Amino acid sequence: MKILSKIANLIFGFLILMSFYCVSLLIVQLTKIPIPPAILGLILFAFCLVKGIIKENSICNICNLLINNMSLFILPLIIGVVVYKNLLIKNWIIIISTIFITTTLTIIITGLFVEYGLKFLRLRRIRKK
Amino acid sequence: MTNFFGLIITILCYKLGQISKKIPVVKKLPPIVVASFFLVAIIKIFNIDYQSYSENTHYITFFLIPATISLAYPIYKNIDLLKKNKRIIYPAFIISALTAIISTYYLSIFLNVELNIIESILPKSTTAPIAIEIAKQTGGIIQLTVCIVILTGIFGAMFGHRILKLIKVKNDVAIGLSMGASSHILGTARCVERGRKKQIVMSSIALVMVGIISAIIIPVFIFVVKFLNI
Repeated sequence: MKILSKIANLIFGFLILMSFYCVSLLIVQLTKIPIPPAILGLILFAFCLVKGIIKENSICNICNLLINNMSLFILPLIIGVVVYKNLLIKNWIIIISTIFITTTLTIIITGLFVEYGLKFLRLRRIRKK
Repeated sequence: MTNFFGLIITILCYKLGQISKKIPVVKKLPPIVVASFFLVAIIKIFNIDYQSYSENTHYITFFLIPATISLAYPIYKNIDLLKKNKRIIYPAFIISALTAIISTYYLSIFLNVELNIIESILPKSTTAPIAIEIAKQTGGIIQLTVCIVILTGIFGAMFGHRILKLIKVKNDVAIGLSMGASSHILGTARCVERGRKKQIVMSSIALVMVGIISAIIIPVFIFVVKFLNI
């Protein structure tokens, strides 16, 4: 009985997630805004969760299940790179160097910004006191 | 039977990847890399056509849509942390997304990369399901995007903490945020290995928030760049 209710909870949660996708797909098609429908669904879903329109216990199981198994859903697409292997081999130096340089830059800028931003806020708070 | 072959081997290789976490020699490799290595090997050995394989496995990739939407759950869970330091954290998300997008675009232009490859590389710092959605929107090659996203994640996970140590960033919020923002889920996994709670939470929020911000910025950025021809 416990298993049955868990399965029902998962299916219900899944239907909630898909209905968010349908609504956002409709919004994107009607308004032609340049945002991927699934991302709009994510934003709407977060909004409804925070506002308490959707209860946490109806979706927590399905969300954890989907997030924990995310790499399974990506796996078939990684294999697709076999088709584009010539493109990758031809540009591998460019791609690797772009990844190295830009990722390092992002890590450094974000890290320094947050580190010194937080220090600055803390200092200001102390001065106010 | 042939219809299910693709499905079965994908799930099997995924499980093998998960088991590899317990084997000492390959413990350091992300499970997804191990799984894709096995999958490519099986596909090569059995000489499976990619077209039919992708038709068989579209049941699996379909789940990327609800999985993307379910990323709202970690945001909801940690909404208090987002509110606490909002004056620094929100600008940090935007700065991180902008740095990744602008530096990638102009470096690729400088290196003479073809336009469809640039469109595939641009969402590289976002988590894979969001990157796929962005690539669909901008006309990039989805398979290439996934591969680049994972390479970025591996690079960030391997060197992220070392780079941050080198530039003397010590705050857990700063470390978590820049790991999640630059190398998405693989960066978060590295934070989990280190076991610092603040880093893990911050990194998992950053990967979703930077993903959302990039999804909004990238289509607009491409439009503006094409329109102004800069």
